Amino acid sequence: MKASYNWLKELVPQLTASPKELAARLTGAGLEVEGILEYGAASEACIVSRVVSTRPHPTKSGLRLVTVDRGNAQQEVVCGAPNVPEAGRLVVLAPLGAHLPAKNVTIAKRAIAGVESEGMLCSEDELGLGDDHDGIIVLAADSKATVGSSLAAAVPGTRDTILEIGLTPNRPDGLGHVGLAREIAALYGFPFQVPQTGTGTGTGTRTGDAPAVGELVTIEVQDAERCPHYGAAAVVDITVGASPSTRYRLQALGVRSISNVVDVTNLVMLAWGHPMHAFDLDRVRGKKIVVRRAKDGEKLATLDGVERTLVSDDLLICDGEGPVALAGIMGGASSEIQPDTKRVLFEVAWFDPRGVRRTARRHGMHTESSHRFERGVDPGDVAQVLDHATSLTLSLAGGTVAKGRLHVQGTRIAAEPTPPEKRALKLRARRLPELLGVDVPFAEAVAILERLGCEIVAKDESSCDVLVPTHRPDLGREVDLVEEVIRVRGMDAVPALLPPIRASRDVGGREELARRARDAAVSVGLSEAITYAFTSARALEALGAPKPTVLLKNPLGEHQAVMRTTLLPGLLDAVANARRHGEREIREFTIGPVFLAARTGGDGLPDEQLRIGVVLAGERPSWLAKPQPFDAWDAKGYAVAIAQRLAGASAAIEVVPAKRDEAPPHLHPRGAAFIHAGGRRIGSFGPLHPDAIEALSLDGDVLVAELDLEPFVAGPLSPKYAPIPRFPASTRDVALVVKDEIPAGEVEHAVRAAAGPLAAGVRLFDRFVGGQIPAGSSSLAFHVVYRAPDRTLTDAEVDAAHANVVKAVGERFGATLR
Amino acid sequence: MAEDDPTATIDRALADLREAFLPRFRAAATEQALRDENAKILGKKGELTAVLALLGKAAPESRKAIGQKVNALKQEVETGFEGCLRALRRKGREAELSAPPFDLTLPGRVPVDMGHKHPIAIIREEVVAVFRQLGFAVFDGPEIEHEENNFTLLGFPPDHPATDMQDSFWTQSNHLLRTHTSNIQIRAMKSLKPPMAFIAPGTVYRRDDDATHSPMFHQIEAFLVDRHITLAHLKGVLAEFAERMFGPNTPVRLRPSYFPFVEPGAEVDIGCTFCKQPDGTRAGCSLCKHTGFIEVLGCGMIHPVVLENCGIDPDAWSGFALGMGLERIAMLRYDIPNIKLMFDNDPRFLAQF
Repeated sequence: MKASYNWLKELVPQLTASPKELAARLTGAGLEVEGILEYGAASEACIVSRVVSTRPHPTKSGLRLVTVDRGNAQQEVVCGAPNVPEAGRLVVLAPLGAHLPAKNVTIAKRAIAGVESEGMLCSEDELGLGDDHDGIIVLAADSKATVGSSLAAAVPGTRDTILEIGLTPNRPDGLGHVGLAREIAALYGFPFQVPQTGTGTGTGTRTGDAPAVGELVTIEVQDAERCPHYGAAAVVDITVGASPSTRYRLQALGVRSISNVVDVTNLVMLAWGHPMHAFDLDRVRGKKIVVRRAKDGEKLATLDGVERTLVSDDLLICDGEGPVALAGIMGGASSEIQPDTKRVLFEVAWFDPRGVRRTARRHGMHTESSHRFERGVDPGDVAQVLDHATSLTLSLAGGTVAKGRLHVQGTRIAAEPTPPEKRALKLRARRLPELLGVDVPFAEAVAILERLGCEIVAKDESSCDVLVPTHRPDLGREVDLVEEVIRVRGMDAVPALLPPIRASRDVGGREELARRARDAAVSVGLSEAITYAFTSARALEALGAPKPTVLLKNPLGEHQAVMRTTLLPGLLDAVANARRHGEREIREFTIGPVFLAARTGGDGLPDEQLRIGVVLAGERPSWLAKPQPFDAWDAKGYAVAIAQRLAGASAAIEVVPAKRDEAPPHLHPRGAAFIHAGGRRIGSFGPLHPDAIEALSLDGDVLVAELDLEPFVAGPLSPKYAPIPRFPASTRDVALVVKDEIPAGEVEHAVRAAAGPLAAGVRLFDRFVGGQIPAGSSSLAFHVVYRAPDRTLTDAEVDAAHANVVKAVGERFGATLR
Repeated sequence: MAEDDPTATIDRALADLREAFLPRFRAAATEQALRDENAKILGKKGELTAVLALLGKAAPESRKAIGQKVNALKQEVETGFEGCLRALRRKGREAELSAPPFDLTLPGRVPVDMGHKHPIAIIREEVVAVFRQLGFAVFDGPEIEHEENNFTLLGFPPDHPATDMQDSFWTQSNHLLRTHTSNIQIRAMKSLKPPMAFIAPGTVYRRDDDATHSPMFHQIEAFLVDRHITLAHLKGVLAEFAERMFGPNTPVRLRPSYFPFVEPGAEVDIGCTFCKQPDGTRAGCSLCKHTGFIEVLGCGMIHPVVLENCGIDPDAWSGFALGMGLERIAMLRYDIPNIKLMFDNDPRFLAQF
């Protein structure tokens, strides 16, 4: 909401605070001023001047040399505008030195096509008064402006300060200057008078033969629930024309000035926050207004040039023949005010906010009018608003106000409305300190409510009965009154007090689980990605992931239309993204839920399973050595390391290579494996399948791993102390040449078994292929550490155990010593 | 005659040896040469041993004296050897110490490159830790939620512009992606009896995707319900939070605002962290629009309607709730200009935190 500081001062004459001070006070009371704009900042520096004479520019045909009288002197300026008026008319001169912030220029002496100009005749656009740049400002022929005075002094409205207020949706009263003025008066403790609108009815230039509005039009409201109050008034014999006196006030507030009658509707809306509509009465067919619901499929061309197909939930304003407006949202073209309009019918109604909102959203419309109706305009000001509109029309467009108004409220049609019932609330004095933690004298609280327009109907020292004004639909309970008190008083008055906190216990445990997984992944050198939980069905399919079970009704696009069933799409997006930027090294993980079908017997919501996903791409970090690309064993290393950290160092984490026909479809069948913890499969790792790499345009190999986190929710297995060996160990190495099809893990198991109870550790430390090793075989070299807990082993004992290793493994695998 | 006097011969030999051993030790350039020289004197076949062998030829009455002399010399030689050995070693160490320095401009070697937590996660863990210290526990909840828990029971009026602030993604089963972590208030209050003090960190979704919005983002909600809880308690917790999260004496300002599920409701500004001066004042900067304050969260007293909806008597219990966006705090803390950077997961971005 844009608010004019000058207008607010007219409504609250006692206001002395500067715009900046006022902004701070409003913000402190919950009407946040988000910006302060200076409208017509150049208007004080520019001078109203009279055109004395005009002659053509000596060389340039489009330019003219205009001599103007600026009050104390005459001067000649070069002007390129097409609309330089005849001698005697008033224009606006920006003299030397004048700064025009709208164009960020300061007027200096300059030669234009060889002729020196010491100033500039200005357009609205150049002065920041509007977007009209078709020509310079020419004041009306009957303007009373004094030559030589500043524009700001001569033409009201050309200088103002505009407050941009970010209103919360509960404060429709702030969407008009009257409401803002009431609020300001309450905040500063000034008395407030709702502005007099003039009676407006039945007066005018031809009093006596003014028609009654009921003779001009009949009104029929078929849906009193959606339109509980429809008010109408009319002005006849008007002259539609330009409206110089309202132009700048409207333009300062961001509303284009159209004509005097249209300007009336906008000004009245900006005054009261109550949108209204003007019909050309002679274009209202059948002299009849009908408020009814649309028929399904009925069409209406709205003023924005869009033909809309309606549904039966849409509320329409119709004339005798068909729809003319979408109630409370936008009018249609057929009955719009035209330059030749002679008779105007004003509509001021109260439409059900929910209905307006549904229709506006359905048709993707958001207008000044729908914005206000959705939030709830004042149902109690219909008569005042109509009177304001008619009296303002009278002063701007002449004519005669038709006698009376029509107020249709349900089945009742009358010249005066039945005032809406006010909500009655009780405020208990004790609730103030109970909720606020600060003592507010009850009398002061009551005074604040009265200043805001509440009526106190009964009061003692412990409570009071309050009638809520109709412009405050947000005050629905006692607590809302408590808020009003502290809002006006200021929250700074409330002390800060740390409460005694009675401890609660964690529910769920996923935050802690995710934190542990994050620590585990970071500790092995992975960086955390935060990936979108929505993805495309196509990406899931390319990865052979479970079909999505959660589909979005209103996604932002196909690429985010389903909830993920694996964490990989987001991670692979990160890879693709990084590679597009030339970054090839990626070691990232992400933690988050995948969304699977609801568990039976649950609450019907999808099963959200917390997982960690890992992606590796590029080269393994190395120190001043030739880097090697990541391979399946890196994936294994990271996956096992993370699982081990989560499960605890003493827990058993197993890697089970996937059989070719069991490999997860997104993994390369030669390098796919499962991770087991506590005997349960918890995830998989391996190189991404080349088909997936191609389908997702990943431009290179990627290693992935994905683990369920739920199995680790109980926390890591606690390690148990094992005594530190007191006796030295003996190490023997053995290098065995074995056929490639024999997995190294099996050989290692066999070595361990054969070495017997004296073997404290077996470790593969070298794998060698080529050289003298026959093709199809490799040499596997193991360190075997022998140790006894209670004595130093003799060489003979160690040799005997080790000899058994060579013999047993040789026999079992046909392995030979290298 | 002297030739024949073994005692004199021994004395002479000892004197010669005493004269010679130090220069010989000092001439040794390496430790090994020194040890060899030492062995030549003290070894089994060494010169001093040879002298001792002459002892048998000496007169028995003088043997004891000679023996003492030999032992004295042996001590001298051993002390001399140790001294020379120390000197030699020091010389070697000094040579090593004064050799050219290592090239420490070569990259450092670590077992693995360090991994990095996401900036949002860092903030999340910090905020959780602060509230845990204050006595709050964590309450988990789902990201896909019933409309009831996300809106209705929180007092969002149907078809009301308040829901504009939270445009939702709906699933085909008519659930929605939660638009805030406030659903946890409802879940906690429906399932547990007060008193309670919980925080709920989590992912939330709104149908907004532009320069300043991501359709997925993160919030942390904190709420407390107990007897006699007032706005002053909310301010106390906020002040403590600001102090621990943003530094000592961080000013906190409440501005009344509107959220359907609190009343009174407020937005919370803290003293700008960017233009803070050494004396604690704020100079004003573009980030705080020269106000000295930046908005960090929304809060309020839990609306009595919300308490009632969860079966809690608002006359007997009261509570407060506060919620903040983690992206905003991360962006403020780390000076990240664009929310989109947080979800691109570019390794060059992640490596900075």
